[in-house]
Amino acid sequence: MKWIFKQAQGRLKIIIICFVLYGLAIMIRLFYVQIVQHEELTELAKANWDREIPFQEERGDITDRHGEAIVTNKLAPTLYFMKAQNENVEEVADQLASVLQTDREKLLEKLSKRAYLTKLAPEGKNISAEQAEKVQQMQIDGLYSGVDYVRHYPYGTLLSRLLGFTGYDSQGLAGIEYEYNDVLTGDASAIRLFTDAKGNAMRQTPDEWRQGEGGSTIELTVDIKLQQIVERELAQAMEKYNAEQALALAMNPKTGEILAISSYPTYDPTDYQKVDQSIYNRNLPVFMTFEPGSTFKIITLSAAIEEDVVDLENESFHDQGFTMVEGARLRCWKREGHGHQTFLEVVENSCNPGFIEMGNRIGSDKLLDYIHKFGFGEKTGSNLAGEASGILFSKEGFGPVESATTAFGQGVSVTPIQQVQAVAAAINGGTLYTPYIISRVVGSNGKVLVDNKPAAKRQVISEETSKKVREALESVVANGSGKRAYRDGLRIGGKTGTAQKVENGRYKDGEYIVSFIGFAPANDPELLVYVAVDSPKAQTSIFGSTVTAPIVGQIIEEGASILDLPYSSDQLPKKYAWGDEITEAMPDFIGLKREEMMEQQYTYRIEWHGEGEKIIDQLPVAGKQIGQDEIIHLYLGN
Amino acid sequence: MLSCIGIVFIYSASAYWSQVHYAGQMPFYMKQLMYLIVALLCFTFVSRNKWLLHERWWRLFYIISIVLLIAVLIPGIGVWRNGSRSWLGIGPLTFQPAEFVKITTLVYLSAVLAKWKRGERVIKFKHFVILLLPIGLIMMQPDFGSAFILIVAAFILFFIANYPLRFYGLCIMLGIAGLAGLIISAPYRLARIQAFLDPWQDQLGKGFQAVQSLLAIGPAGLFGHGFLKSRQKYLYLPEPQNDFIFSIILEETGFIGGLCIVCIFACFLYSGYKLATRAIYARYFYITSALVSMIAVQAALNIGVVIGLLPVTGVTLPFISYGGTSLVILWLTVGIIYLFGATTEGEEEAAWRK
Repeated sequence: MKWIFKQAQGRLKIIIICFVLYGLAIMIRLFYVQIVQHEELTELAKANWDREIPFQEERGDITDRHGEAIVTNKLAPTLYFMKAQNENVEEVADQLASVLQTDREKLLEKLSKRAYLTKLAPEGKNISAEQAEKVQQMQIDGLYSGVDYVRHYPYGTLLSRLLGFTGYDSQGLAGIEYEYNDVLTGDASAIRLFTDAKGNAMRQTPDEWRQGEGGSTIELTVDIKLQQIVERELAQAMEKYNAEQALALAMNPKTGEILAISSYPTYDPTDYQKVDQSIYNRNLPVFMTFEPGSTFKIITLSAAIEEDVVDLENESFHDQGFTMVEGARLRCWKREGHGHQTFLEVVENSCNPGFIEMGNRIGSDKLLDYIHKFGFGEKTGSNLAGEASGILFSKEGFGPVESATTAFGQGVSVTPIQQVQAVAAAINGGTLYTPYIISRVVGSNGKVLVDNKPAAKRQVISEETSKKVREALESVVANGSGKRAYRDGLRIGGKTGTAQKVENGRYKDGEYIVSFIGFAPANDPELLVYVAVDSPKAQTSIFGSTVTAPIVGQIIEEGASILDLPYSSDQLPKKYAWGDEITEAMPDFIGLKREEMMEQQYTYRIEWHGEGEKIIDQLPVAGKQIGQDEIIHLYLGN
Repeated sequence: MLSCIGIVFIYSASAYWSQVHYAGQMPFYMKQLMYLIVALLCFTFVSRNKWLLHERWWRLFYIISIVLLIAVLIPGIGVWRNGSRSWLGIGPLTFQPAEFVKITTLVYLSAVLAKWKRGERVIKFKHFVILLLPIGLIMMQPDFGSAFILIVAAFILFFIANYPLRFYGLCIMLGIAGLAGLIISAPYRLARIQAFLDPWQDQLGKGFQAVQSLLAIGPAGLFGHGFLKSRQKYLYLPEPQNDFIFSIILEETGFIGGLCIVCIFACFLYSGYKLATRAIYARYFYITSALVSMIAVQAALNIGVVIGLLPVTGVTLPFISYGGTSLVILWLTVGIIYLFGATTEGEEEAAWRK
């Protein structure tokens, strides 16, 4: 029998070895969990035990280029209640209701909630500092006040359609606030109260403080002073012309930095519910697309000079009032035509047949090529939310007629920011820069997280061509349709634009978008301003060129002192000195339709009389010498 | 050996101190102390009654325990608790026949195994009948923990009783095949296994207990938070005085305390097996080692669950977990082990080591 005993004992030893191995496994596992994973599990466990009273870190500010805060924060504490630490809910409700001046029953309902930690919202959310102090003095058990902030706007509605606003929990809901929410949002600090699973404080674990991190500050390229001027001017224009909308964009043409950006009507970001979402969701200078009209002629002009197909000063062109392209009669805005003129005068007069001729000489393929090179048909890359790309003719659909209309700015659809980007390239020496508005992002610790620099896309035209374009546009202001933007001593160049609004693919009768793009100093541009007014109406109806040119003139004049633009003595003299009575023969308007009259670019102010479609009479009569700023009377009938 | 168990006992008693916070009326540790006195009485009683050595008594006990198991299943007699019908109530006292059955089955099985004579086949159909009958009944309650412990202990017993190694090879293969078959037939089981492998994925669901246990153990570090300073026992861990008492011990005494407990169990195991090797008859040897193994398996299973080595099963930590009958029966078991292991004279068949 002995051998069985031996064998059984041997077997027993194997079993013992198995148990020993298992024991070792236990020890290794214990070592791993308790020593190696110690830190990690401790943090997790704390997260499991704690009830956090959030101390909201400040959301990042939004500042202008000089660090001036446009959007910042205001302290507004929020109350939290831990029911497990105070069962006397009725009394708490009484006390709170008197301080917060809210409905006691609703408060009671919230306080009685079966939860570890109840946020007393909305009654106790973002209360004023005085209220918080009063509550603090009551020393209510289980009631905690967490630090919280609400957005504060020192400049009120300024820039609101760009910046957007924040919602109930300080989350960005529109504009920059929404687009850069992650950057602006801080990581909340908190008091960590350790409790058992039922919410009673754990005696042996002291409360802790978790340090959060404030949101990053966004520094815009915008200059707040220039922005204020721009918004004031737009507000006045809205009022004066009873316009539907207005927009403005100011840029440094040498860098692509957006210095001012504005859309009207505007709204109050603290009370955004009052306006339609189309107001706060649309940042017009990047969102809106429309026919540019004559401002687009700058592109045609640049291409023509670059291709060396036109000599502005020594070549002349005869405008008879229209041009025939493949059987289509394309009219000039001036019915009787501008007659014999140099190409420089074509530019000054914004003569359509003259530009059709230029486009023709460039060739339709090349023209379309230039349009693309100037950045049309695609987003600018400004990173502004809601940017549109506009509509161009496709290469296949770009026949002679399309080419001809495009040459003077019709039949294409572009955004204001595209125009500003393109014109900046045309006048800055030929380099196309990506427009941008975020200058820097600075973390709460002062570390610069993003530092945007000007980004050149490509060279579109030569410096030499650009110089000629600048000169031509300066003479437009000095001698042509842009003369209302002329300022003594400031070299301003620019171009007017008027275009009929398009709705559902058809031109809308009687509604126009009038615009002007201007820059200064004309020899070395540092400020480019674009202003467009949508559907201006007035008792004394006014030609497109006269609405926006003075606004841009005003913005540039005031902007010059802010940006320190140089004044010079060798500017192009205005054709007519101030005070001189400049007269010319009164044109014959009889028989014109009211709409046709709107497309004219005369500088007269018009008073309309009577009802109807067509002009049946006018005062003064045709041929009489009248002043350029004179009021003329037109009588309507059928 | 007794001294070792004594340490375990002291420790167990002190661990209950920490439960003072838990119950309002009669503290658990007081109840447990009372049960411990009863248990020690049982131990002394059993270890001194030599008539219990006789095989025929154990056959009777085996039959009685099977009857009790069946009785539990009959509605009206058995008591439902926590979703299984495991308890038998006599007045205010309740106990689980399954606890009892584990002992009787192993002892009886040992007796049958010891009857083997040279030339016979080792594997006998009878063995499996004796084993599977109580297991089947326990599974019907259902109480998988007890059934599992009994199976493992019985297999260790078979192993010691010189079952051929081929048998174990076959069992392992069958086990793997069976596992694969189960997973293929019901894919949700795979999810269970995943939940075990990575309890963090489903912290509030299937992984809850495992995660809470780890959250108790991890932060304790080398020395723990100190006696009475457990945090997780504040209602985060389910049944802190029961299945997860080892978590609390680890939390309060840290890595060092955990090692001590494991060492104490190792001592118990060692002295138990040492007793076994001194047994004079094969039957005594088998009984002693089988019962020691049973307690060891239960401890191993509980510790494994607590530290996340094994999937969660409802098994208590022997001697330490709260539970009156459980404690009494454990000491009863120890009494039996001592009885069979320490008896040095007998009148049955010839002592086997000669």
